[in-house]
Amino acid sequence: MKVSCLQDNLAKGLSIVQRAVPSRSSLPILGTILVATDGPRLKLAATNLEIGINCWIGAKVEDEGAVAIPARLLVDFVNSLPPDRIEMDLNVRTNTLHLKCARFEANMNGMDPSDFPVIPSPEENNRVSMDADVLRDVIRQVTIAAATDESRPVLTGVSVTVEGGQATFAAADGFRLSVRTAPLKETAAAPMTFIVPARALDELARIATDQEDPVEMCIPEGRNQILFHLSSVDLVSQLIEGRFPDYKQIIPRTFTTRTVMNTGELLQAVKTTNIYAREASNIVKLRIVPASDLAPAHVELNATAAQVGDNVGEVDATVEGQGLEIAFNSRYLIDVLSVISEAQVALETTTPSSPGVIRPVGSNDFLHVIMPMHITQ
Amino acid sequence: MANQTRKPENGSEPAHKRLRWILHIDLDAFFASVEELLNPDLRGKPVIVGASPAHRGVVASASYAAREYGVRSAMPTARALKLCPHAILVPPRHHVYGEFSDRVMVILRDFSPVLEQVSIDEALLDLTGCERLWGPIPDAARRIQQRVMDEVGLSASVGLASNKLVAKIASDLRKPRGFVYVEHGREAEFLAPLPVERLWGVGKVTAAALHRLGVETIGDLATLPESALVEAFGPHGAALKYRALGQDDSPVITEWQAKSVSNEETFATDQTDEEFLRHELLRLSDKVAARLRANGQAGRTVRLKIRYHDFTTVLRSETLPMPTDSARDIYETALALWRKHWQKGRAVRLVGVGVANLESAPYRQLGLFDDTHPREDKLARTLDEIRDKFGRDAIRRASLLRPDEDSD
Repeated sequence: MKVSCLQDNLAKGLSIVQRAVPSRSSLPILGTILVATDGPRLKLAATNLEIGINCWIGAKVEDEGAVAIPARLLVDFVNSLPPDRIEMDLNVRTNTLHLKCARFEANMNGMDPSDFPVIPSPEENNRVSMDADVLRDVIRQVTIAAATDESRPVLTGVSVTVEGGQATFAAADGFRLSVRTAPLKETAAAPMTFIVPARALDELARIATDQEDPVEMCIPEGRNQILFHLSSVDLVSQLIEGRFPDYKQIIPRTFTTRTVMNTGELLQAVKTTNIYAREASNIVKLRIVPASDLAPAHVELNATAAQVGDNVGEVDATVEGQGLEIAFNSRYLIDVLSVISEAQVALETTTPSSPGVIRPVGSNDFLHVIMPMHITQ
Repeated sequence: MANQTRKPENGSEPAHKRLRWILHIDLDAFFASVEELLNPDLRGKPVIVGASPAHRGVVASASYAAREYGVRSAMPTARALKLCPHAILVPPRHHVYGEFSDRVMVILRDFSPVLEQVSIDEALLDLTGCERLWGPIPDAARRIQQRVMDEVGLSASVGLASNKLVAKIASDLRKPRGFVYVEHGREAEFLAPLPVERLWGVGKVTAAALHRLGVETIGDLATLPESALVEAFGPHGAALKYRALGQDDSPVITEWQAKSVSNEETFATDQTDEEFLRHELLRLSDKVAARLRANGQAGRTVRLKIRYHDFTTVLRSETLPMPTDSARDIYETALALWRKHWQKGRAVRLVGVGVANLESAPYRQLGLFDDTHPREDKLARTLDEIRDKFGRDAIRRASLLRPDEDSD
């Protein structure tokens, strides 16, 4: 193998694939990044067997070849090189990669590239696509509700249902639920439903930051995998097996109080209250006060921490229905309010112990259900 | 210095090192004494509480009359009956002992709220600062012992000292009906003649190593230089020396400030029956959950303890996303741990369930998938109230009833 490329491009490609390198693994080959020529481009690949990433960068290929180089060594070394042309030359017999850039030179002992796990490429069937910035937004709004502990593996995933011209993404960690619907670029040939690890989607959102073309999603038959195809990156993820809970059952169909607030004001008020709440199991109490002769409608937020003290704040609101006091985990409120871009949100509530629903005002494609914290005595 | 009630001189102590009064009380031959109390025919006779030798039972408790024949707790019942063939064997009735134990604890709480129940028949009471209320503390300690005898009918041994370590050793010194008071400042002197095995943290291995160093008594240990102990035992070495000098500033931990709540059960016979063991986990989870609720606490880490017949002990834990005080959450987590870590078929001597990572929990996070939680919560609290009023066994899960058990 004899290849040259720009340090900028190589460093950027490495930063994308290195996210799939496991922090520790019993298989030494998983600690490497595959560097291989692929036609006129250089392909970089890494996998932890749950997700795998292929990334292609522009290069000048003189001789074809491939080698697997320890990830830390390659990434750290390339990142510290000056922005110049890098020349790479492989000694096939010893799997040693010789690297030359400006006045720096290095030899890296690699491993046999044929030991590197194959990361599949997308196929033509079962394929749908979405606008990259819509998909990024969807991921941001949904993965906040996915579970991070592994006690129920399906809850660490995002349930995706593709039907007709749209896809519905949902995640729930047992205490909150995010559901977002988004249009597909074309109508799906057949309905599909599957569970993607939230970690894989977060990674995808990160990679897709400067993607302009739509992102293609492809579910190859019988492989229990999903492939995301971007302009110069493919991301493959194992799907999570199992049944996702029937979340439609959980979404309350009615409410007795609907409270509309300014999203940014509410977020700021919750963050302020959280300074106290974080010392006391994240409990923030909301007192929803309908308009009266004495005062216009508003919501009072307060938190009390035994060791610290207490605080109270207020935001303007429009309240339909009766007043109510309800307590939520401040973390959950901050998470959801941070991913709503609409100016106003509506909070729909019924009793202090029944689920609250948060929806952006003027948009029907997102909703978030939060279970309250209930006073036990 | 034992059996004296002279007031200590405490004038020269610095204010931050306030003198403490710690009482350790240990009920004498507890299970056997309760059986004697309930059945006067047994009085004074050699009584062994334990499962029958047919079930490979061990002695849970033996009356002093039986002990004269060399019968000891944890000894196989078969061997105990060989030592003392005319002993009367009584099957254990733990719920009965629990009620007697509770009555003793109520008396102790009358004297001080700072109570740490160590086990069913043992407790530590911090009486520091109670002089105004009860007069000289050694006198109050004697009254406590007397009230346990008068009101419950049980004899107890009492140790009174400036810390937990010394109080515990003191109560053990003159059983039964012992009363040993170690004056402040004379702890080291009190411990010095005792064999080193009496000290906390000195098990078989440490004792053997100490013997090799020429240490037989606690006094011998106290004179060893700290550096020699650190060399022989690592960082624990220094702690050993302080203990040998009778120094211990660990506080009496009342339940509401406990860092964890746990319950465990040692079986009269080693168990391999999975169904039975699962029931035990449920029963223990129920107990732990009730104690958490009584303390107004909830915890995030569920712990499981398995001790096999050969005393190898496995401790495993799992941390939940939200603190809980629900028996169901605790049981489900403990059961998952159990399934993962129990070596199927290996005989189990003890199981324990505990919850750590506690916080006081006026609010609980409701779950998305089970609308049963608030109702279950209410049910659990109602059950707690019933048990409070009518006793621990007034109401139980049907699955915890055993076919061979009398519903007395």
